Amino acid sequence: MGLAIEARGLVKSFDGKEAVKGIDIAVPEGSIYGILGPNGAGKTTTLRMLLGIIEPDRGTRTLLGHERPLEAARIVGYLPEERGLYPAMTTKEAIAFMGALRGLPLDVGRKRAEILLRENGLADYVEKPIKSLSKGMAQTIQLFGTIVHKPKLVVLDEPFSGLDAINQGRLESLIRDEAASGTTIIFSTHVIHHAERLCERIAIIAAGRIRFEGLVSEARDRLRPQVRLKTRSADGPWRAALPADAREAAGVWQFELPKSGIEPLLKGLMDGGAGIEELSIERPGLHDAFVAIAGEAAAREMDQPSPTELGVAA
Amino acid sequence: MMGLFEAAWVIARRDFIATVYSRTFVIFLLMPAFLFGMTLAAGQAGQRADREAQQAQVALVADSQVVASLQQARAALVANTSDLSFPKLITVAPAEHPDIQARALLADESAAYSAVFTGTLDRPVLTGPAKIDDSVGRRMRLILDQARTTAALSDARIAVPPVSFERVLTAEAAGNLHGVRHLMARGAQLIIFMITVLLATMMVTNLIEEKSNKVIEILAASAPLDSVFLGKLIATLAVSLLGIALWAGVLGGLYLFTQVLSDWIDVPVAPAIGWPIFIILTFLYFTTNFLLLGAIFLSVGAQASSVKEIQTISMPITIAQVMFLLLAGTVVSASGGLLPWVAYLFPLSSPLSMMALAVQSESLWPHLLALLWQFLWVAIFVRIASVMFRQTVMKSGGKVSLFPTLRSNKT
Repeated sequence: MGLAIEARGLVKSFDGKEAVKGIDIAVPEGSIYGILGPNGAGKTTTLRMLLGIIEPDRGTRTLLGHERPLEAARIVGYLPEERGLYPAMTTKEAIAFMGALRGLPLDVGRKRAEILLRENGLADYVEKPIKSLSKGMAQTIQLFGTIVHKPKLVVLDEPFSGLDAINQGRLESLIRDEAASGTTIIFSTHVIHHAERLCERIAIIAAGRIRFEGLVSEARDRLRPQVRLKTRSADGPWRAALPADAREAAGVWQFELPKSGIEPLLKGLMDGGAGIEELSIERPGLHDAFVAIAGEAAAREMDQPSPTELGVAA
Repeated sequence: MMGLFEAAWVIARRDFIATVYSRTFVIFLLMPAFLFGMTLAAGQAGQRADREAQQAQVALVADSQVVASLQQARAALVANTSDLSFPKLITVAPAEHPDIQARALLADESAAYSAVFTGTLDRPVLTGPAKIDDSVGRRMRLILDQARTTAALSDARIAVPPVSFERVLTAEAAGNLHGVRHLMARGAQLIIFMITVLLATMMVTNLIEEKSNKVIEILAASAPLDSVFLGKLIATLAVSLLGIALWAGVLGGLYLFTQVLSDWIDVPVAPAIGWPIFIILTFLYFTTNFLLLGAIFLSVGAQASSVKEIQTISMPITIAQVMFLLLAGTVVSASGGLLPWVAYLFPLSSPLSMMALAVQSESLWPHLLALLWQFLWVAIFVRIASVMFRQTVMKSGGKVSLFPTLRSNKT
């Protein structure tokens, strides 16, 4: 499978300060790709460089085979972090206009807009002006405008920010549906569980650098599975089977699964008379992987709302 | 990628429809009528009030026969001019000492006399300050001459019938043609200038709104910024042409169906190049003038982040544009020299200058050259505007070329 996006060594400075410090990204066609990072990590700048909205100071990027991103504009959809719609336009016209900007004839755009709105239970909103909609609803309309021309690549910058749980669920379904039809999706987020639920591949970005790039499973596999053990016996020869860094709290032992595997561990516990009451092996989540890769500080910042969510214009 | 003009068309169509269906367009349509009406009313009322305030009063301190002669003479002169052209003559009963009475009258602020007439028709005396000699003095002399001539003719029993011309009508007179064309050239320049400045400000305000509601990000991601700017220029131009067409339609309708304005509209003088070509050239020069100025407004105005900032930023541009208007005005008034050539060639004064040339000269080929020249500068200005916008507003550094096609060919 080819690459929808390939970027090498992208660098961008603003007012003499490097915001992006040499980013490499490879997004396979047809995949759902997440860029994770705290606010100010360089996610939006990276996406804007990939799309050709701003030019990198150094580095190269190829978008669906085009070295000049605007040449691929007809087959790309983009939802910026700061949403922008004409307040006086109706929802149908707004969607059709965004399609027209990507080369879709207006009449076709209007028909598809109606279909999109009806299919998503928004038939009553077809002729409603944007200014009468809630923020979440307007965001949904803009998302429809992003995909109305049936692009091969959809770029979403913080698509979940500002959405309530219902609209977040709707957006996740929409992303999955688009991907199922062969569209490549790349989105940035500072909420790890969205990426964990949706993405096959991710890039973890912090302070303008890529810290990890690859499959979600590879990120998780950087950490050993965690073993939780509860025994009937408080002490005994079985303790020798535990790794040196095993920690105990309230009668529950927790430690990384030894590299030798589960069988030698089980044998040592049983032969040592541990009396196993509970034993579970948990695969680390993406959050744990993120902490391990980007650090505690970056993970704490991930939990902070974005400036857009706070209503602060950049 | 969508072509430059294809994307510009999408943006222009949206902007055009949005503007035409907005309240702004209604204001745009009504504003010229409102301004024209206000200027006319204020001008006429003000002029009349000024002239009335300036009309002098002269006290007539003489016997009743002299007073009657002077009043009749004034009435005869006013009949062929206007009442405001001569001082008002106020009759005052003579006192024992006319010279003392004259000084007292001149000192009376409630009466406000400029001069006092005493004596007879043969030995008239006008008392007043020296500064009234040029205004009141001359006019009083005219009134006196009229009164004395009438009296002399009456004494000699000679009756002079009123003069009536035998009129020989011609289509036009060169002196008249020159004056009207002079006015026509200046008027055309001023109208185009006013509409252009009005529209350019409107367009930049629209761009600032797009910056604030973040639509510009969507546009910039979908189409080249050249298309975005070109689209906005075309839309605003189309809006203005629609407005002008509506005004022309209304005036034409009034002319055809009511004839109310026929005297005013029926300008007997045609521009040197002829009405049909003049109208086409007016449209073309308005287009290039708007595109040139609009591109500059866009490139500078786009740096602003609020409508308030625009007013500050656009002031020097407007002042500069007034300078270009004055430069273009040299074409109308100068009889030769270097300055008119500068006005023809400098891109920002060229449309207005060529407009004046169309009124005054029959040659067509200079207009073809000028239009090519002006459209070339439109392309350059739009490109500069988009590069400036990309570099400073979108914060996009890197390799942005003014002429990407030339660069790619070179590489």
